[in-house]
Amino acid sequence: MNKNDVRLVIFIFIMAISLILVTKIFDSNDPKTALIYYENELIKKIDLSIDKSNEYVIKGFNGDVIVKSKKNMIKVSDEISPLNICSKQGWISSSYEVIVCLPNKILIKIESNQNEFDAVVR
Amino acid sequence: MELRKTVRLSMLLALSIVLSLIESYIPIVGSIIPGVKLGLANAVIILVIYFYSFKDALFLSITRVLLLGIIRTGLFNIIFFFSLNGALFSIVTMYIAKRFTKLSIVGVSIIGSLSHSVGQIVIVIIFLNNLNIIFYLPYLLLFSIPTGIIVGLTAKEVLSLYQKLEIKSY
Repeated sequence: MNKNDVRLVIFIFIMAISLILVTKIFDSNDPKTALIYYENELIKKIDLSIDKSNEYVIKGFNGDVIVKSKKNMIKVSDEISPLNICSKQGWISSSYEVIVCLPNKILIKIESNQNEFDAVVR
Repeated sequence: MELRKTVRLSMLLALSIVLSLIESYIPIVGSIIPGVKLGLANAVIILVIYFYSFKDALFLSITRVLLLGIIRTGLFNIIFFFSLNGALFSIVTMYIAKRFTKLSIVGVSIIGSLSHSVGQIVIVIIFLNNLNIIFYLPYLLLFSIPTGIIVGLTAKEVLSLYQKLEIKSY
């Protein structure tokens, strides 16, 4: 490794850390809704503000996808795919996080219920 | 001469496929952040870029993705384009980095693993029509530093041994 490599590493490190910090700032603790898409089509909305754990079964491309939810959190607990990446990902809770399951063509994202005006005030 | 090169390149191709297959059975790396892997096959691609040429490396890389598609994931589905785009992005940027910057082989390898992630994120954005996945990118960038260094150091060692071997065999 020469000097240029070290500079490159420092540059990437600073950029990644600052991007992570920026996304953390945009996160909020307000009530949230989980949106589940299949092939870019919204198929289910789950209200995450209820303090109760639930289980849903969704039709994926390879078969059934089991989705579990609890207060402000959602995860894929079981699905059929070669690498099982989305069930390994575990719980997601922030509005910038997504679960993408390419083999099943499923996308789960979280949206906060607050409007933009509130976000500005906060 | 030409035959020797063809045989060597096909052996390197086989090596890169075996490395990709072995790598998917190493559980440690993928369990920290899902989707992260070491990318040992990239060491072979770097070796080919440095020892042979960009054209050979490009050919080898595309053939590798095709063969891995047949073996593991299936051809011409989303995952196939996912890995194809990652491979193409990484090989083109590695060549540019090697040709036009003063980075050493380790730096080139970091650039390669970084742009591999970028290429994959781009294809996810195109296929799923959703920009949210971009928030995943900083974590992938962060992890591309250690994986890039490991792969780069491996490629460096192998390259020096490979050069000795090639000179001896003439």
